[in-house]
Amino acid sequence: MRCEEVRPLLPDLAEGIPREAGEVEVHLATCAACSAELARYRSIILELSALREVLAEPSDGFLARLLSQIPESSWRALVQRVASDERLHFAVFSLGGAVVGGAAIGLLWWRARRGLGAIASGASAASETA
Amino acid sequence: MVSHELLAACRRGDPKAFEEVVRRTHKHVYTQALRLVGDRQDAEDVAQEAYLRVFRGLAGFREEAQFETWLYRIVANTAMSYLRRRQRFGAVLADPEEEEVSLQRASEERVDQQAVDRDSLVKALAALPISLRTVVVLKDVYGLTCLEIGRELGTTEGAVKVRLHRARKRLKGMLFASEEGRDEV
Repeated sequence: MRCEEVRPLLPDLAEGIPREAGEVEVHLATCAACSAELARYRSIILELSALREVLAEPSDGFLARLLSQIPESSWRALVQRVASDERLHFAVFSLGGAVVGGAAIGLLWWRARRGLGAIASGASAASETA
Repeated sequence: MVSHELLAACRRGDPKAFEEVVRRTHKHVYTQALRLVGDRQDAEDVAQEAYLRVFRGLAGFREEAQFETWLYRIVANTAMSYLRRRQRFGAVLADPEEEEVSLQRASEERVDQQAVDRDSLVKALAALPISLRTVVVLKDVYGLTCLEIGRELGTTEGAVKVRLHRARKRLKGMLFASEEGRDEV
């Protein structure tokens, strides 16, 4: 292979993804200019990955502004969690069903007692008049 | 950066835990946003919005991926949405070959051999057109795959690879111009 053919491949080759050695590698082993070029690309990619830990300094008060939006956000997150959790849906529906069922039974019981009371008081009034 | 215990506390809705996550990550988030949008005020806006998305998404975050990787994706996505709203997304998708961008030297200092000077690299990165900078920042700095970047940008993996290739080539041109001249001789 010639330099003109190898050069366009170098930016991707520099990433270091394992591949089978082929004609490019043979060329690189014998061409100082192309191997120097590859080393430059590698050096750029290496330094770019190191930039992840090179941090810019935000303006004064930035952290405070971020923190001030947390309470609202955390509550919203909690509400959304409840809204999206299927197990919680099931629990809420079950609890709701139990409450409605209990209330219905209580109401029937109360009406039944009231009815019995009315019958009893009607009977005692009738016996008094007799 | 952020432990499993801290994330679990966040999921329970503990505001103190959220606060701790923000304290530990805000400079990383701000820096990534700055590298993507290129402006300090815009980067702060992007960071604020990104944290809102983080809080909303934390309940669904299952820790299959690293928290940091997940965070980088959110910041990338927020930055792209921000640029889209600011109608600067066209520049992100523009073909850099058609742009009139001067290959300005990031630094006039002579860089010896293959070593890259960090300050020069930061300047060279900032000098790249946004369409190239976005791709190289997400791939080579933050480790997203070309496929993931394509999804964020709404383009194909192949198109991302082409841009990445051009971006690296342009960076090399800015950083090693003097050495290239020497090699040609």
